[in-house]
Amino acid sequence: MRSPRFPIPQGTLDMLILQIVSLEPVHGYGIAQRLEQISRSVVQVNQGSLYPALHRLEQKRWLSAKWKESETGREAKFYALTTSGRKQLAAEKHSWAQLAGAVQLIFNEGGR
Amino acid sequence: MIGKLANWLRRNKLESGLERELRYHLDRRISDLEKRGLPSGEARRQALLELGGIAQIQEEVRDIWLTRWLRDFTYDLRLSLRSFLRTPSFCITAVLSLVLGIGATTAVYSLVDQVLLHALPVRQPERLVLIDWQGDQVANGFGSWNLMSYPICRDLDEQKQFFEGVFCRALTNVDLSTGGDYSAATVEIVSANYFSVLGVGPALGRVLANDDDGAPNANPVAVLSYDFWQTQLGGAPDVVGRKVLVNRHPLTIIGVAASTFKGIDVGQVPSMWIPASMSAEAIPGFNDLLDRRRRWMQVLGRLNPGVTLQQAQAGLQPWFKAMLQEDTRRAGFPVITADRRREFLGSSLVLTEAPQGHSSLRRHLSEPLWVLSAVTAVLLGLACLNVSGLFLARGSAQDREIGTRIALGASRGRLGRQLLADSILIALAGGLLGIAAAPIAVRTLIAFLPKGIAPTALHAGVDARVLLFAFMASVAAGLLSGLAPAWQAGRHSLVTSLRERGGTAGGIRLRKVIVTAQIALTLTLVVGAALFLRTLDELMAKGPGFKTSSLISFGIDPQRSGYAPAEANRLIRNIDEAIQQSPITQASAIARFPLLTGGSWNDPMTILTDKRITTDDVNLNSVTPGFFPTMGVRIVAGRNFNERDEHAPVNSGSAIVNEAFAKRYLEGRSPLGARICEGTGPEAKPNIEIVGVVSNFNYRGLREQSEQVFFPFFADAGANGTFYVRVRGAPESFLSSFRAIVHSADPALPMMDFRTLDEQVDRSLNTEHMLATLSGSFGMIALLLSLVGLYGVMSFVVTQRTREIGIRLALGAMRWSAIWLILRDALAMILTGTGIGLPFVWTLGRLVESQLYGVKASDPAVLVITILVLCSAGLGAALIPARRASSINPTDALRVE
Repeated sequence: MRSPRFPIPQGTLDMLILQIVSLEPVHGYGIAQRLEQISRSVVQVNQGSLYPALHRLEQKRWLSAKWKESETGREAKFYALTTSGRKQLAAEKHSWAQLAGAVQLIFNEGGR
Repeated sequence: MIGKLANWLRRNKLESGLERELRYHLDRRISDLEKRGLPSGEARRQALLELGGIAQIQEEVRDIWLTRWLRDFTYDLRLSLRSFLRTPSFCITAVLSLVLGIGATTAVYSLVDQVLLHALPVRQPERLVLIDWQGDQVANGFGSWNLMSYPICRDLDEQKQFFEGVFCRALTNVDLSTGGDYSAATVEIVSANYFSVLGVGPALGRVLANDDDGAPNANPVAVLSYDFWQTQLGGAPDVVGRKVLVNRHPLTIIGVAASTFKGIDVGQVPSMWIPASMSAEAIPGFNDLLDRRRRWMQVLGRLNPGVTLQQAQAGLQPWFKAMLQEDTRRAGFPVITADRRREFLGSSLVLTEAPQGHSSLRRHLSEPLWVLSAVTAVLLGLACLNVSGLFLARGSAQDREIGTRIALGASRGRLGRQLLADSILIALAGGLLGIAAAPIAVRTLIAFLPKGIAPTALHAGVDARVLLFAFMASVAAGLLSGLAPAWQAGRHSLVTSLRERGGTAGGIRLRKVIVTAQIALTLTLVVGAALFLRTLDELMAKGPGFKTSSLISFGIDPQRSGYAPAEANRLIRNIDEAIQQSPITQASAIARFPLLTGGSWNDPMTILTDKRITTDDVNLNSVTPGFFPTMGVRIVAGRNFNERDEHAPVNSGSAIVNEAFAKRYLEGRSPLGARICEGTGPEAKPNIEIVGVVSNFNYRGLREQSEQVFFPFFADAGANGTFYVRVRGAPESFLSSFRAIVHSADPALPMMDFRTLDEQVDRSLNTEHMLATLSGSFGMIALLLSLVGLYGVMSFVVTQRTREIGIRLALGAMRWSAIWLILRDALAMILTGTGIGLPFVWTLGRLVESQLYGVKASDPAVLVITILVLCSAGLGAALIPARRASSINPTDALRVE
């Protein structure tokens, strides 16, 4: 039962987390669920690497965290994007788009 | 880095937060899975599986918080602390060695920082420059160094393309009263832009502004220093508008300067600042403020932003050359020879950076303080070596533990780091205690400094810079002392350490290297100490050239109390007569300038024999006829002054010269009858007849041997005097008698600098005392440290070779041969250390040459004695373990294994 999904490229996890958090403040489990949805369709994310990544982003002050009541009524740690995190996300999106565009261009040329 | 340290401090909170976060995740996942129909046990299992191990996530996150090495390091420190608590005696010895090293280095650094390095507390001190005249100013002057005239400073202030402003200043002593008695005080005479150029504001009232410096005598105002305001006026808030009396002239206080500002001369904290227009009031008899040929003030400027020192210096020269030309055409420019005129016109201005202001204390102390810094740095290095040795000794005791850890898979790097953590912990403990001890040490050091410096000038407190220095010194010491042990641990051989009982051969070799290095460092310190002690000894034995016992001196300056010169001389005469009649007086005399204070009255002279000779600067003084007999100075040829000389006209009377003068300028011919005068120009008229020659004695200080000329006291125009009295009995007890005599002549006249001549000699040898005492104590400590090191290594060698020695003795070797076996080892170390140390001694010796007197840096006697002392002390230390070796019982020794 080999999965057709490919493993997530190195360094992309941080970008995905920033993207998910950018929509609204969300707790770790919420991010895991979103990742799982993505995983099911496209890429494979190891949940074990989620929390180290979250704390790394918090250390870099791209994410801020706050304990708040969650939808189940229990307190959970909610992550939100900081201003510098927003900038970082924009920068990563931009460079990703450039990279993807460049790769596409090369493929197109090769196909001709 | 700071963030990580903050994380370390709140690590408990972080841990519990992470745990809560992970539990929330798990609980939600389990309940979600259960909703999908999984049985609860299965749901839990799958949730945990997905997450991939809670403990592993926690570890990973911790690494993010603290980074790996920091975590390891905190762990190492904890382990070190535990092992130190197990071996307190080791710990105390190591910490104490470093306290000595770090404490001494920090204390000396504190002085170096305060006296030599600290920038003035003013706006952008880095843009301040000292402006000095290089060449012949064709000017008369008084004061210390780097002097120019007031009008030239005002001209410089107008060179606005280079300077924001240029100010001048001069320190002078005055009689000062804030309402009560007069006392002597230091004031700084400044141009009115002083405060604005420096960027110093008032704490109260206002500081001097540009219109406070108008025509001479026009601005009777003063700005108090904060210290003076606090200590002498109790910080009274209504002080602005009050009057102070400076040499009996009332000045209105307009404000108090900012509290941090203590003038621009570390060591001389002025009581107040007075505009230059009031200089005639501050310096009695001085009316030459506007004279361009009167040099007495230091000139400092603030460079414009963007102008470099080199640009300003080069840019100033054209203006300066034009000014020189203009000066020669001014009315009143002295008539000078063509040579001298060429020299004058060839003068240039030299700018030097002056962020620390201008200080004569710095000039005197910079070299001795750098010497002391070097000495304490060597001492700290020695202490580090000592700790290294101790660690190595402990290391060989811990051999089996280390071997076991390696066997269990510890990496060598990790073990080395553990040892570094050990040594840094020890060093930080040493540093902490060193800082605690530093104020006491600094106070001790300050007590050695020249007595003349202001008590508020230097402080013994530990400020941020000193703290930073002590911290850096501690970390450096930690790394340095941990280096050898860590290296040794890295070379650890697993097999041998588990097999052998004692230490490894490598360990003992490294310890021997360390002791050898210690001996080399000790040699330099002990030789240095011996040189400074010899210097002090030579100077004390030589003496000033006159008898100091039972001799006292004190000064008066009646002009400051408002006396006209003629009245002042009458007063001095009255006091002199009263002293002569006192029963405690054996002999007494007056000199214009005090001896052995560092200063002098000096001028070049013209001598007329069969030809005209001009001299370099000659030290001058005027004295009463009793002076030479009172001081015990011999009259070698001719005669002493007499009453008739006192009444002769100033420029055609008589003079006495010393032997040095006769030898240098008259080349063995008799100087009697030759005619001399002050000054060297064509206008100089040598009409004063030399009537006598006296033996040489010191004028400015004990090291100097200068040409001197004396004039009759009452014949010259001055009106102050220093009394020299030889008394019957202990001189210290007569202060009140002399005070009463001065008091009955004028109750309001302050008496200055009452002291015995023995005390004066001590004061003039201040720096020599400081260097001798401190380098002597540091040398002793160094010797002690290396003897302890040597003893430790040799004891270890004996323990290690017990079996071998036992076998030798069993085979019939003599006891003394066992002793020799050990001593030979020690002697090899001592001699190697000496051999390594000698080049250092030679290099350092050349650096301190200028501080020495009567002894050469490479003095063979000093070297030989020091090496002998080192050898005998070292052999003495090695003898104790050697004797133990000789008393080994062969049967016991063989049974040990």
